[in-house]
Amino acid sequence: MNRIWSGIKNWLIAMGSPPLFYRWATSSLPWLAGLAFLMFSAGLIWGIGFSPADYKQGDVYRIIYIHVPSAILAESIYLLMAVGGFISMVWRAKIAGMLINSAAPLGAGFTLVALVTGSIWGKPTWGTWWVWDARLTSTLILFFLYAAIIGLHSSIENKTKADRAVSILAVLGVVIVPIIKKSVDWWQTLHQPSTFTLTSSPSMAPEMYLPLLVCVLGFYCLFVFMLSNSLRGEIISRERDKAWVKKQFFKQ
Amino acid sequence: MKDRDDALNWFMLVLRRDLTLSFRRSATYITPLIFFLIVVTFFPLALGPSQSLLSSMASGIIWISALLSSLLAVEGIFSEDYRDGTLDQYFVSSEPVFVLIFAKVLCHWLVCGAPIILASIISSIFLYLPSGALIALIISLLLGTLFMSLLGALGAALSLGKSAILSAIIVLPFSIPTLLMGTAIMSAAINQQDYSGFLLIMGAMLAIGIPGLCLLTVEAILLNYE
Repeated sequence: MNRIWSGIKNWLIAMGSPPLFYRWATSSLPWLAGLAFLMFSAGLIWGIGFSPADYKQGDVYRIIYIHVPSAILAESIYLLMAVGGFISMVWRAKIAGMLINSAAPLGAGFTLVALVTGSIWGKPTWGTWWVWDARLTSTLILFFLYAAIIGLHSSIENKTKADRAVSILAVLGVVIVPIIKKSVDWWQTLHQPSTFTLTSSPSMAPEMYLPLLVCVLGFYCLFVFMLSNSLRGEIISRERDKAWVKKQFFKQ
Repeated sequence: MKDRDDALNWFMLVLRRDLTLSFRRSATYITPLIFFLIVVTFFPLALGPSQSLLSSMASGIIWISALLSSLLAVEGIFSEDYRDGTLDQYFVSSEPVFVLIFAKVLCHWLVCGAPIILASIISSIFLYLPSGALIALIISLLLGTLFMSLLGALGAALSLGKSAILSAIIVLPFSIPTLLMGTAIMSAAINQQDYSGFLLIMGAMLAIGIPGLCLLTVEAILLNYE
C-alpha cells in the first residue's frame, strides 16, 4: 500500500515538471482523443437514438445527455482549479498556475453550454427560457466567477504573477461556492433535484441513466483531452526561452 | 504576551493614523455617501414613484446601493500607501501584516460604512420601507458593509494600479451570499418573522472572513513586490 502511495506521489511530483508533463501529454494525447471520441459518440448515439422517450416530456428530455454532463463538468472544473490554486499558493508549482489558466476558459465554456441547453430545455417543459430558480442562478454565478478569474488573469502582464493572483481567487471561490449554493437554495427552488447522487440509486430507468453515465464519462475524457492539449500550448509559450524547448523544436 | 501587546499597539497606531488621514480629507467619507444617495434616487426615477412598488423594493434597493458604494469606496484603499511606501514599511516591520491590513479595513468601514448606514435610514423613509424593518436594516447593513469592505480590500489588492471596474468584477460575484442573507433578513423582518438565524450566519461569515480575507489580502499585496 505504502509503495503504491509513494509511486503516485512520485508520479505527481514528476508531472509538476513542465518538460516531463509536456512529454507525457504529447504521448498520451492520441489515446485521450480516441477514448473521448469513443465514449462521447457511444453515449450520445445510445442516449439519443436508442433510449426510450420520456412518458411526460417525450423526446425533449434527450437534451439531458448534453445538459447534465456539462453542468457536472462546470462544477468539477472549478474544484480542479481550486485544488490547482491551493497547490500553486502553497508549493509554488508552476504547472498548477498554468493548469488554472488553461482550465478557466474550458470551465466557462461548459458552464455556458449547461446554461444554454438548460434554457432550450426549459422552454418546452417549463414554458419560459429562464426562471430565477436556485440552481440556474447559482450556475449563472459560477459563470461570473469564471469570468472574474479569466479577466483578472488577462489583466496582469507578468504571467507568473497572474497565476498567483488567480490562485488566490480560486481558493476563495471554493470556500464561497458552497455558501452561494446554500444561500441561493434558501432563496428559491424550482429545478428538479440532482440526477446523480453518490449515496442513493438514481430515480431514472436504467435505459435512460446508463447512456447518461457514459455521456458524463465521455465529457470528462473530452475535458482531459482539451485540457492537456491547451496545457501543452501554455507550457511551450511560457517556457519558450528554456533550453529544453529550444532543443525540442530547433535541434532535433 | 509582549508580542500580543505589540501587535495591538501597532493595530491602534495604524487605525489612528488612517482615521486622522481620512478626516483631514472630507472626500473620503463624503463621496461614498453622495454616491449612495444618488443611486438610491435613481431607482424611483427609473421605476416610477408608486408608493406600493417602492415600499416592496426598498430593502433591495438600499442593499444594492450600499453594496455598490462601499465597494467603490474601498477600491483605492491601498493605492496611496502603496505609492508613498507606507505598505513597504508594514512588510519590513516584522509585525503580523494581516493585523495592520485589518486596521486599515476597519478604519475604512468606520469612515465609509457608518455614513452609508446613516444615509440608509434617511432613504428608508424616502422609499417607504415598513418602519418595523428599520432595526433589521441597520443591523444587517452593519455586518454586511464590513464584509463588503473586507472583500473589496482583497479586490483592491488584486487589482492594485488597474481599473476600478476590474476590482468590481472580481468582488461582486463573491458578495452574493452577503446580499442574499441581507435581503433574507429584511424580508423576514418585514413579515415579522424571526431573523436571528440569518444574522448568525452573517456573523459566522464575518468571523471566518476577517482573518481569512485579511490573510489572502496580504498574499495579494505581496504580488506587487516581486
